[in-house]
Order: sequence, then C-alpha cells, then structure tokens
Amino acid sequence: MWKFQLDPVTAKRFQRFRRIKRGYIALLVLATLTGLSLFADFIANRRAIFVWHQGKAYFPTFTFHTMAEFGQKDEFGFDDLEADYVTLKATLKEKGGGFVVMPIVPHDPYEPDFNYPEPPPNPPDSRHLFGTDSQGRDVFARLLYGFRISIFFALSLVLVGQTIGTTIGALQGFLAGKFDLFSQRFIEIWSSLPFLYVVIVISTFVRPSFWMLVVILGMFQWIGITFYMRTEVYREKTREYALAARSFGASRRQLIFRHLLPNCITPLVTFTPFAVVAAISTLTGLDYLGFGLPAPTPSWGEMIDQALQSENRTKIWLAIAPFSALLLTLFLVTLIGESIREAFDPKQYARYE
Amino acid sequence: MSAPLLEVQDLYKSYPVRGGLFSAKQGEVKAVAGVSLTLKKGETLGLVGESGCGKSTLGRTLMRLEAANSGRVLFEGADVLTADKHQLFALRRKIQMIFQDPYSSLNPRLTVGSIVREPLEVHKIGSREEQNARVRELFVAVGLKPEMIDRYPHEFSGGQRQRVGIARALALNPSLIVADEPVSALDVSVQAQVLNLLVELQKKLGLTYLFISHDLGVVEYLSDRIAIMYLGQIVEEGDRETLFREPKHPYTRALLDAMPIADPRRRRDRAPLQGEAPSPLNPPSGCTFHPRCPYATAACKTTIPVLEPVAGSTPDHRAACLRKNEI
Repeated sequence: MWKFQLDPVTAKRFQRFRRIKRGYIALLVLATLTGLSLFADFIANRRAIFVWHQGKAYFPTFTFHTMAEFGQKDEFGFDDLEADYVTLKATLKEKGGGFVVMPIVPHDPYEPDFNYPEPPPNPPDSRHLFGTDSQGRDVFARLLYGFRISIFFALSLVLVGQTIGTTIGALQGFLAGKFDLFSQRFIEIWSSLPFLYVVIVISTFVRPSFWMLVVILGMFQWIGITFYMRTEVYREKTREYALAARSFGASRRQLIFRHLLPNCITPLVTFTPFAVVAAISTLTGLDYLGFGLPAPTPSWGEMIDQALQSENRTKIWLAIAPFSALLLTLFLVTLIGESIREAFDPKQYARYE
Repeated sequence: MSAPLLEVQDLYKSYPVRGGLFSAKQGEVKAVAGVSLTLKKGETLGLVGESGCGKSTLGRTLMRLEAANSGRVLFEGADVLTADKHQLFALRRKIQMIFQDPYSSLNPRLTVGSIVREPLEVHKIGSREEQNARVRELFVAVGLKPEMIDRYPHEFSGGQRQRVGIARALALNPSLIVADEPVSALDVSVQAQVLNLLVELQKKLGLTYLFISHDLGVVEYLSDRIAIMYLGQIVEEGDRETLFREPKHPYTRALLDAMPIADPRRRRDRAPLQGEAPSPLNPPSGCTFHPRCPYATAACKTTIPVLEPVAGSTPDHRAACLRKNEI
C-alpha cells in the first residue's frame, strides 16, 4: 500500500480541496487532458498506429517508412517519400493482404491538405472536423499539439521559476542581513526590466527553442514568489520550534528543509496555479506577436494570429478553436488555483493562542 | 560547595536601532547590560524581572541563539560564546532549553515522537530502535503515554505540549536546562503540574535549572537562589529565604509587594510600584531604577550602583543599591 503519511495540516487541506467540487473536477479534467495530450501522436497523426502488411507488422508512429515499403508511388512516380497510410488503408481494405489502424484524427499538425477546390483555410467538414488553417493544416491537430506544448511549457517554466524563486526568497529570509539587502535591491532593479522587450530583443538575435524560452522567461518568472517566501521564512525562523532546533544543534540544512520550508509552502502552493495561468498566457502572447516558438510549431498564439488576419475575418472557425481552448484551459487552471487558495485559507483553522 | 556548572561573566547584548537614510544606526537597546551569574550543579536559579527587562534575551544569548556583544559564558570551564562549530555542537548536548509558548515551540508538521527524537537524530545517538525506545522512556518520564508518539502537536493540550517540550529538552541527557518562562502560558492548575514535574525530574536526574520567569510565586516554589533583573542588569541576588525575608533592593521589595496574597484581611503597608519601566533605548542616568524608586536620593541620579554583598546578610546576598544598608 501507499505508505506515505501526510502531516495533519496538509492532509486536512487536501481533504478540503477534494471537498471543493469545482476545483477537484477541474483538476481531474485538466489532468486527463494533459495525460491524453502526451499521447497526441496516437490521437492526431497521419502516420498509422499499426500496419499489418504482407505478414509484417509496422508501428510507424515514431518511425519513417517509405512508400516503396508498402508498394506505393506518388503521382510523379516517386516512392522514396513517406508512406501515405490513409491511401494504404483504403487499398488494403479493397485488395486485402493486411490492415491499417489509423489514429482517430488522421492528420498531423504540419501536413497541408490541398484536396479542396477552394484554397485554404477551408471550413470544418467530415475530413477536418475543426477545419483547416491558412496553410491547409488540420486545426484540431494543431490545437491538440498546441495544448501539449502550452501546458508543458507552462509547467516547466513554473517549475524552474518557482524553484529559483523559493530558493532565493528562503535564503533572503534565512540569511537576512547583507544578502537580503543586496539581493532585494537586485530584485527591484531586475523586476523593473520590461521582460517582454527583453524577450523580443533576444528573439531578434536567435530564434528561441522551447527550452531557451523557458530559460529566458524563467529569468523573470522567479521574482514574484521570492517576496512571499522571504517574509514566510523571516517569520517562521523566529518561532520557538526553530529556536529549539537550533538549541540542540540542528544544522542549517536540517533547519531549512525539515522545519522552515514545510511551514512556508502555503504561498508557493497557492500562487503556483496562477503562475501557470500567467505562463500559458505569456507563451500564447509571445507566439501571437511572433516572438515565441519557431514557425511550424503548433501554437495557440500563432493560431490566434492567423484568425485575426484581415483576410481571415470571415473564417470564424479559425478564431473559435484557439480562443475556446485558451479560455477552457485558463478557466480550469484558475478554478484549481482558486480552490487550492480556499483550501489553504488559514482563517479556517488558525488558532491564535 | 562544588565548582560552578555555569558561569556568566559580564555579558552584554545590545540590539542596534536603525532608521533614516541607509538604515543608519541611531542607537542601541541594551537588552543585557553586564550580567554575571553563577550556577552550581544541581541548583535552580530563578531569574525574575518585568517584561522587556532582558531575561529571555539573557537566556538566548547564553545558549548562543543570539550573538553576545561581549562577556563570557563558561560551561564547565568551556566558553560557549567562543566555541568553534564542533565544540559548540558538543556543548549543545549539555545545555537544553524549554520554551515559553507550547503552541509555537513544537513544529506542527511533525509527530510529537519525531519531535522528541530529533535531538537524538541530530547527534546520531543510537540506532533507530534505540532512539524510539528512548523516546518512549522520555514520554513516560514526563508523564505522557508512550502510545501518543504518533500523534501531532495540535492533538494535545497546552500542558501536554509543554511536557513534549520538556521531553525534547531531556532527550540528550543535558546537565543544564534553561527554562524560559515554561509555565507562564499555561493555566494555573496546569502550571502546578508542570512545575512539580520539573522538580521531580531535577531530583531524579540531577538537573541544574536556570528558571526564567516574571512570576515570583512560581520562582519561589522551585528556586534555590533568585536573581532579580531590571533593565538588563541584575539588581539583587540571593538565596530564596534571605531574598524573601529581607529584600534589600527597592525593586525587589516592590515585586514582593505586588505578589497577591490569598488573604483579604491582610493589608498592604507599602504602595505598589509607580510608572512604567523606562525605555531601555534611553535608560535613566545613575541607578536605572531611580525614577520609580520611593527611596531615591540625589546621589541615585548620578552614581551607578554596583552589585555588592549586603552587610550583615548571607554571604551570597548581593544588591545593587546605594542605600541597600539603610533600607
């Protein structure tokens, strides 16, 4: 069995969080969506999940197979291009000799579909349930992969930022004195840098990758939490249990990790969901401005940018998809955050003796 | 008389008061202004004073929880204040502290068992099983049920929590315990139980107590000797009987007069102490007590009295008052 004992304060907060239905359901939904997005390659992909062809099994999701391997040729007679699994499925169904299992949505977020009389974007139909974008790419696939990138970008950024912020804030509170004084001045100067401009300036030199963007934004994201951690540690370290630990000779490490930090996590836990909201919005904003992730990467910001182009004003599906997805995600995370905040509200159980 | 266990010599501790441009130092609060104390093995010294007189600071400074400005704290001859990391770590085993507030002195996120075990873990004493056995033994010693070790502090009453704090202080088998107002946050009925426990433990384990309190009644109950503190200085010191029978410092008299007596027919013949304790930021000249002293003379405003033996009393009865031999 799960032999991990939560301390009663945390256990109580967790129970209370579970009792706040809207937040708990939002957490379950978001966790499910995030979990599903990990398998996006099996949900929306033009590569088949499984191919049984002439007595041989293929799992092409992450491997490249040429047309030649399945006896295919394109209209110009080339057979060294990637196999067309949709056609293969139809051929095998007709002639036998194997079968193909395709993902539910047989499109990836990069492949353009020009098989329409009209130039893209094309409105939703049975082939592209959410329509296609101005380059003929499937909107649902881009939405799905864009969600995966957004949520993992936000989580990585928040993880990096909150770790740095908590460490620095806790050190400020713990070491106090000169370190606190100078680091606080540094934070004041640093936080007055307009980070959007910094990102834009850096983006003009290098096209930032996912991790580079995490690092660049992380350089600014950590600041918010330091203020809270600093004051928490300042307060907790003068409590008598901390003095007691020092009086029997506990080391600084023991003092910080065993006594202080566990009693200082409230602001960290309550602010983190809102930091995730901010991170998703920031990435979307940067992508919208064109300073985010490099071009073919599926991203909500880029989708919104497309939807707002003047020639696309009547192509309403381009706007509905990313805006609804953004709204839903931010709504879910906010619900979670707001419920956590309520569950951690010290007024409900504090005793001031 | 045995050699002193703890000797505090001329200890000073002041806090800078900062303000203005670049947090310039604008003054200082002398919380402990030249205190000397001696504790013999097995005795209890009661340290009494009003709120803010520096008695808790004294306790924390001699534990080196706060850095002293000057002075020496000799524990069995070794200076606590200048000990290096390893010496200090070794010394910490022998001096332990009991805290005032049983609600904040226990980490709410740890079980009481692990709270009491932690000193043993820090000092790497015994195996896990031996540590657990020791924790159970300590729980019995302080009057708690050993089954309670897996509970959390919030499940206990104030008195029980204070017992947990005492068990933690005893875990390392210390010889000196600095008890910083250990009962003042407790109900009166519980106070007596905890005090009795402290007395009993002292007899059983041969402990030495520095017992800090603002309550003379509590101090009278368990102290062998008493030191009275006023504005960071000890103004009178002596064994319990002498001090209660013939207090020489007017401040001690005022404190004794302020003790409630459970007899409505007895009338007070002296007026209670007037006024507030002056700010330690700007202490009065001469004898710091003179603005509130009914016996003050012109000399008291200019001359600083020294803690000296009182003529015709017991040899260790000392008072810092210019008129100690007249009043």
